[in-house]
Amino acid sequence: MRIINARHREGAGAEGTMENFTALFGAQADPPPPPAALGFGPGKPPPPSFLFSLYPPGSTELTGSTNLITHYNLEHAYNKFCGKKVKEKLSNFLPDLPGMIDLPGSHDNSSLRSLIEKPPILGGSFNPITGTMLAGFRLHTGPLPEQCRLMHVQPPKKKNKQKHKQSRAQDPVPPETPSDSDHKKKKKKKEEDPERKRKKKEKKKKKNRHSPEHPGMGSSQASSSSSLR
Amino acid sequence: MAEKFDHLEEHLEKFVENIRQLGIIVSDFQPSSQAGLNQKLNFIVTGLQDIDKCRQQLHDITVPLEVFEYIDQGRNPQLYTKECLERALAKNEQVKGKIDTMKKFKSLLIQELSKVFPEDMAKYRSIRGEDHPPS
Repeated sequence: MRIINARHREGAGAEGTMENFTALFGAQADPPPPPAALGFGPGKPPPPSFLFSLYPPGSTELTGSTNLITHYNLEHAYNKFCGKKVKEKLSNFLPDLPGMIDLPGSHDNSSLRSLIEKPPILGGSFNPITGTMLAGFRLHTGPLPEQCRLMHVQPPKKKNKQKHKQSRAQDPVPPETPSDSDHKKKKKKKEEDPERKRKKKEKKKKKNRHSPEHPGMGSSQASSSSSLR
Repeated sequence: MAEKFDHLEEHLEKFVENIRQLGIIVSDFQPSSQAGLNQKLNFIVTGLQDIDKCRQQLHDITVPLEVFEYIDQGRNPQLYTKECLERALAKNEQVKGKIDTMKKFKSLLIQELSKVFPEDMAKYRSIRGEDHPPS
């Protein structure tokens, strides 16, 4: 490694070196001690330029060399979100929310961005609806036209088998041993049967709940199930 | 802290369920359903009042706008958290690499300078007070 010091060529004194240093590297925040204090005098050659940076930059305890995730106690969060596969769709995050929530908000003007850009006009408080106001909510009997029925359409639920196949194809999982895969397949088959039964029971319960008045068997169930299709 | 979110979540779930039931009533309206409809409409008002009360407890909560982009696209907002953590870790590793490289460069530079300017480097070390391997 060859270090070139332009100040040797000029043969200037200590003050001259200071001026050249500032011209080359700019003014420093903390002026360094005079060279005489460091053992350099007019009879001796000027110090190398690197000695002018005797004052090290301010040190901080927290730098990029530390693992910031452990420093801020985010290991649990990291393992939770990055260790497991997070499902893509919004309906996986909010499974109980009715309607087609996986569609983009721009399709039906239900985006949050539009709510931020054009906030609704807020004024006054929320007052209960009086009897005269409720007169405006007298509806015609009969089913809704087909255009308005889409509100109750739920997205089709994918079967678990398809999901497992997709996840196997996408994830770089190490190859399983034959014995492990057989056990897992058997376990999955055993688990799916009671799960299917539970899901069927839940669906039946939901159908019973669909009628706004307390569920009565018979016609109310039939009318609600037909409207949900 | 979590209780505030639990209250809000509870009110929102009730509100959404109320709206859903209202939609079912309206989808096939019968004259006998008028009373139920009126009740649901008033539940909407009380639900909004309850949600409005929760707003005051959550005025200091900030939500990044990028999360809204995910929700508007129908994507899971937890993916945003995941990507933030992954980006933070990647940047952390990148900066750590730079720091380690600079440290290696420093030690090599001091070694070479000690060969060329042994006396000056000895003074430098004494002033800086750092321990470096002798050249």
